[in-house]
Amino acid sequence: MFVQFFYMLRERGVPVTPTSFLRLQKALSLGVIGSIDDFYTAARSILVKSERYFDTYDQVFAHYFRGATISEMGDVELTDIAKALLEEWLKHPQEMAEALGLDEEQLSRYTPEELIRYFLDRLKEQKEAHHGGNRWIGTGGTSPVGHSGDHPGGMRVGGTSRNKSAVKVAMERRYRDYSQEGPLTEIQMSEALKRLRRMIPHGARDVVNVDKTIYETMRNGGEISIVFDRRLSDRLKVILMIDNGGWSMDPYIGIVQTLFNYARSQFKDLKIYYFHNTLYSSVWLDPQRHLRPEAIEEFTRRDPETRLIIAGDAAMAPYELMGANGAIYVGRKDSQSSEERLKFLARTFRHAVWLNPQTESSWGYTWTIGAIWKIFPMFELTLDGLEKAVQHLMKRH
Amino acid sequence: MKPIGEPYRFQGASKYVLDDELAKIVNVSMALEMPLLLKGEPGTGKTMLAYAIAESLAMPLIVLNVKSSMKLLDALYQYDTLTRLNDSRFGDSKRDVSNIEEYIRMGKIGQAFVSDCRTVLLIDEIDKADTDFQDDMLDVLDQMQFDIMEIDKTVTAKNRPVIIITSNAKKDLSDPFLGRCNFHHIAFPDPEMMRMILNVHFPDLSEELARASLHTFYRLREFRGIEKKPATRELINWVRALQSDPDFAVKTLENGEIPYLGVLFKKSLDLNLALQQAGRARK
Repeated sequence: MFVQFFYMLRERGVPVTPTSFLRLQKALSLGVIGSIDDFYTAARSILVKSERYFDTYDQVFAHYFRGATISEMGDVELTDIAKALLEEWLKHPQEMAEALGLDEEQLSRYTPEELIRYFLDRLKEQKEAHHGGNRWIGTGGTSPVGHSGDHPGGMRVGGTSRNKSAVKVAMERRYRDYSQEGPLTEIQMSEALKRLRRMIPHGARDVVNVDKTIYETMRNGGEISIVFDRRLSDRLKVILMIDNGGWSMDPYIGIVQTLFNYARSQFKDLKIYYFHNTLYSSVWLDPQRHLRPEAIEEFTRRDPETRLIIAGDAAMAPYELMGANGAIYVGRKDSQSSEERLKFLARTFRHAVWLNPQTESSWGYTWTIGAIWKIFPMFELTLDGLEKAVQHLMKRH
Repeated sequence: MKPIGEPYRFQGASKYVLDDELAKIVNVSMALEMPLLLKGEPGTGKTMLAYAIAESLAMPLIVLNVKSSMKLLDALYQYDTLTRLNDSRFGDSKRDVSNIEEYIRMGKIGQAFVSDCRTVLLIDEIDKADTDFQDDMLDVLDQMQFDIMEIDKTVTAKNRPVIIITSNAKKDLSDPFLGRCNFHHIAFPDPEMMRMILNVHFPDLSEELARASLHTFYRLREFRGIEKKPATRELINWVRALQSDPDFAVKTLENGEIPYLGVLFKKSLDLNLALQQAGRARK
């Protein structure tokens, strides 16, 4: 029974195992599932093993048992809107500008991310005002915004409902916040970064090595001989470089702040530097990027085992990256292009990653992202991306 | 095992507010004889659920608090070599030194297996242990038996315990582990649910205090930059503090003042942030 349901879940990317499906059949035959509501909860607890897939499960369930199309017009996913929006933008920039109440020239200066953000802000205003606004946005309905909210790590705006039919509950998409693409919270970050450590014996010999003690005692003919070892402690050195300049990073301040806070409390030997867009001859120790510069060349003196993490959207004008004098600051002369500087850092620190707060699917839109990607392994600043980045940083080269 | 539909059916205990969804999942897990893995933010009542199940099913509860250094063997049994050595040297106990079995002590899982009645076994914060521990433990729980090497004896569960496993981790546990559990994620209670929870703890709570405190509480959870958001436990303690203060009037909350912030925010950094933001809100 419900074989099609099973395959639909799999198609939508929920890792459902045949074993668990058989288990569901067993539950059905045991008679513990008496209604569609029971089925909704029971099947979810048996088939779906992570809250990240609850949202997808809800969608498939609603579709299967009510025949609701997976993305109905009133319930279009934000990402879909965003995608459509971008396509529209490329085809008819003028119409788009009109719809958003901007002039075409203004619009052309926006990056895709900013455009989406602007669009979402409009949607929100509209929701608060409770009147139609212009029709183009109106078709998107208020429900996407109403449901997903916009505060990082926040919960659903509406309340969890009781005494509703399972299909209705599923349609509510209560678990949208938990789906894989959700924003990172500090707890999640700490989970992902926990493995980023390098345990090295350090300090006084004050830990008894039981195995060696037994061995030595035996060798001594039973006379007890205790062997002490140094304690293992985390001696990992981390350099974190944060792009804190310019409006293109503005939407991501929250998430980078979280990364920053976490890193500061977690890593004992951590240096944080700031830059704007990309690296030129120096980076700064102060967030204003003014008082305490440190020349890139100086980094050769650091321990090459240091883990280098660069966080930035890597989005800029191509000449900023490639030109020998590309810095957007007036009066600063550079002998090398930023690209050269980045390559230099990548050579200096073999364990280095670039964390990009933009979603991987949008990287293709920006030329400079691709160029930097070739120099540093780039990962999304999401739970999955962070885990991959940590794996990469801990790899033995 | 008794057939389905027998009196073991879980409906919620006196101090625990259970939503229907959770009750169904507990029942299905019991019927399928599978461990139930509970995930969720701290303060959503994962641990309390096991206590509530034990209470409502009238079964004894055995709690295994997982620690990072824990070996699976510790949870199964311990061979008390030290006591045996002591007995053999001084011989002043009634134990038979030549019988190793007298020096085997059951760990928490072992206790659940040898218990004469069915028990609820809570394995709390499984994410603290390493993956090997987790997988090996599920092997034991799957087969409902383990060997005691020292005396070459197999312990088989007399009654299959109701197993509840909790995890705080946002990271997923290993696939084989997940494959053998039923899974539920407990969302943070919404105001309506929280109101019911408050009612259970404070049956004589006045309507206006309940509303005002909940309103304030959910507003506080929205504060930016807070590392450890106040959860159910903090709310209950806070309401208790408010109630016990003779000078406190509900008006204070409605005016935007928040007394006893320290009860809600446990980290000094969080408290400072909260004080700042609460102050700003008043102006």
